[in-house]
Amino acid sequence: MEKYDAVVIGAGNGGLTASAGLARKGLNVLLLERHNIPGGCATSFCRGRFEFEVALHQLSGMGTPEKPGPLRMSLASLGVLDDLEFVEMSDLFSVWMPDGFRLALKADKTRVISVLEEKFPHQKEAINRFFDLVYKYANEMLAAFFFKDPSPSREKYPALYKYAFKPANEVMDDIFSDPLLKNLLSVYWGYLGLPPNRLSFAYFAMLFFVYIEFKPFHIKGGSQALSNAITNKFLSNGGTARFNCGVKKIIVKNGAVQGVITEDGDHIETKYVISNASQVTTYTQLVDSEEVPDGVLREMGGRSLSPSAFTMFIGFDCEPGELGITETTNFLLDGIDATDRVLNPMRRVDISDETMVMSCYDVSDPDFSPPGTCQVNIVTLKYGEPWMRIPPTQYHRIKYRCAESMLRRIEAIFPDVRKHIEELEVATPLTHMRYLGHPNGAIYGFEQYTKDSMFFQPGRHSPIGGLYFASGWIGDCGFQPTLQAGMSAAKSVLRKLNSN
Amino acid sequence: MKKPIFKEFDGYNGIVEEIETSRKYGTDYAVYRDSVDKQINLLHPSRMKLHISEIIDETSSTKTLRLVSQDGYLPPFLAGQYIALFLELSGIRTSRPYTISSPPNQTGFYEITIRRVEDGLVSNYLLDEVKKGDGLESSGPAGQFYHNPLFHDRTMVCIAGGSGITPFRSMIREIVECGLERAIYIFYGNKNLNDAIFHDELRSLSDRFENINYLPVIEEPQEGYEGPTGFITGDLIREIIGEPAEKTFYLCGPQGMYDFCVPELERLGIPKRKIRKDVYGAPAHICDYPGWPEEIKADEVFAVKVDGGPTIEARAGEPLMLALEKKGMKISSLCRSGECSKCRVKILSGKVFQPAWVPVRKSDRQFGYVHSCVSFPVADLEILL
Repeated sequence: MEKYDAVVIGAGNGGLTASAGLARKGLNVLLLERHNIPGGCATSFCRGRFEFEVALHQLSGMGTPEKPGPLRMSLASLGVLDDLEFVEMSDLFSVWMPDGFRLALKADKTRVISVLEEKFPHQKEAINRFFDLVYKYANEMLAAFFFKDPSPSREKYPALYKYAFKPANEVMDDIFSDPLLKNLLSVYWGYLGLPPNRLSFAYFAMLFFVYIEFKPFHIKGGSQALSNAITNKFLSNGGTARFNCGVKKIIVKNGAVQGVITEDGDHIETKYVISNASQVTTYTQLVDSEEVPDGVLREMGGRSLSPSAFTMFIGFDCEPGELGITETTNFLLDGIDATDRVLNPMRRVDISDETMVMSCYDVSDPDFSPPGTCQVNIVTLKYGEPWMRIPPTQYHRIKYRCAESMLRRIEAIFPDVRKHIEELEVATPLTHMRYLGHPNGAIYGFEQYTKDSMFFQPGRHSPIGGLYFASGWIGDCGFQPTLQAGMSAAKSVLRKLNSN
Repeated sequence: MKKPIFKEFDGYNGIVEEIETSRKYGTDYAVYRDSVDKQINLLHPSRMKLHISEIIDETSSTKTLRLVSQDGYLPPFLAGQYIALFLELSGIRTSRPYTISSPPNQTGFYEITIRRVEDGLVSNYLLDEVKKGDGLESSGPAGQFYHNPLFHDRTMVCIAGGSGITPFRSMIREIVECGLERAIYIFYGNKNLNDAIFHDELRSLSDRFENINYLPVIEEPQEGYEGPTGFITGDLIREIIGEPAEKTFYLCGPQGMYDFCVPELERLGIPKRKIRKDVYGAPAHICDYPGWPEEIKADEVFAVKVDGGPTIEARAGEPLMLALEKKGMKISSLCRSGECSKCRVKILSGKVFQPAWVPVRKSDRQFGYVHSCVSFPVADLEILL
């Protein structure tokens, strides 16, 4: 029987950094991935002369070599920085509305504030108050948790104690009176999956803080380049990777991991498994139900599945300027609502007035697509469940009907797009489900309610001995959190090994 | 920081209550078990068990196999897509993609149409040995060659060579049988008229339906043949279709046909985005390919060390994937034309020839990955599967 120090299930962001982290410390690690390429969400695919980015819009936490952010430091510790080229985006985000309203924010605190002050002179004081609070909160959060203050207190960190669990909309309502401004500063809810009345202020504060302080980034060659670079490091440190090879079972005996069985029926002996698969799949499909400790399903049952997404990938036979696209990250809004009402379109199949984000990487990186062309990735959040009720025979028709509606929304702002389309691919919630293997195609794992944040749930740990998790299912989701989740899972395994 | 300070944060008690409530009325995830696989199998099963319900003679070198599902379920597909058959012949585990030639509205079966390939291991088997009732294993439907209603024109100009007619047969049948608002011009090139697959059917549809225009083009016509002859030229296309604006062009056939017809279309001023090409397997004579290292002959043999273990021999003139299959190596495959990247392998040392058009991801190129179905060894190799 084959034997490994650790087996990592899934080569998504978390699985990759976990396996690379372990292999770097000399462990004999097997990485198993169902798909033929590494990356999970962090992949690309080719159509014609285009290579489309699947999921990365704005990489957070990178910073510059002079002022490195946490993610840059993690990637440096894996030794992959030399194999990658990061592209800083000067834009924070742009907002476009069909009535002609436009707002373009640069990833710079002073400029963000001055642009907002200019558009909303009556809210000048509020705008400053908001960003002061964002920074105060973020700095207190970092001091207490990232730099691990040994004696934190409410007196030292008043904003942290007051705002960590407070819903974002309550904070916004206290500060702003202009509903448009409030909602413009809430557009990042799309990166988190819940409207601001259901998200804690903490998420918004940290997102603004990391994007402004460490800038949003993209990667030459897309997120696939990151996945390939980490895989490459893993392999060169002696790791074994098998693609096109899923896992059928995690063998658990007497409450501890004994090994795994692959889809091909190979038995592999190991004491440690890091699962990059969803917790739902891990506990209901991979581990035998009698080996799942009491309480695990009950704990998980309190959480809910995040939305999936409807995504269009378009390759144009012209440069972005010709289409009127001048910014990398564009939020297309059709209304100023950021309350629970945004959940209604997410719960239906059809597309009409939802919020969308359209990323055109070529604006920041002219080499992203072939010369004289550009590509966009347009995404809107959709729960997977309504899509699961579509009869298979109707699937293609409905998929194209929705895509047509999405295209019309884009045409309303960039009228010339259709005559320049050279390639176009559509991904529905079922497509995301297919490639991620997530129940209901949930792209963000479980929903990121405060009650399900890292403070309140088991995170990467499992009551099953030797089993750890590294993914967007164990707390925060997104590129930076999942990449770092894998690093943490590797550390947990190493710590456990050293203590034995 | 050891102290769990979050318990002192404002709102903590409310959240603890919320957790209890949500667990009490929570989701039973046990019912999700294999829900993802079940859902996805309705559209994209990785494997299907089929059997042959009918074998239809088309031409002297071509037959159509009608395939029904062993469990009664066939996933939907788009006209133009293919399935790959997975077979084990003379001890070799291999696969071949075949376009579904029946229309998608025919939900009871798929048809695939097979033309004999000289010394073709699989085509000879499918044409000479399989019989009604035999089982076959296939992939789910796949492929990017279909009419995309979002940006393709309603008038389709199709150019087919040889067995490249199959996707268009599916499309034409769907258009007439479902009454779609689309028109098709189909130019079908063959050596002689007897080779033209579905000729009678297409002629008859062309006679009956105003929106179907079928035009066989014969390279070596028999005496007295009155239709167009030679190659499918830009002039011929222009003469038949009139103004090329608001038409999308689709090509399916051997590489030689693309090499000839694409420049002809470009000469008519048709932009790249209006020209769609189907994949059609690996180039047959790689040594004649532009860029091939002249000094290397097709029969030259190189040593390939696989996964640090066994070393096998591979011929320069044969795709690396085929050499691996012949030695019993397990390698995933689907399109066998360079497009799907299923058969991606890492070249640790040595060199392969891979045509420049093969869509390999940029970072895959950076880290030495190739698509082994269209990569040909030109040196001794060490590879990682």
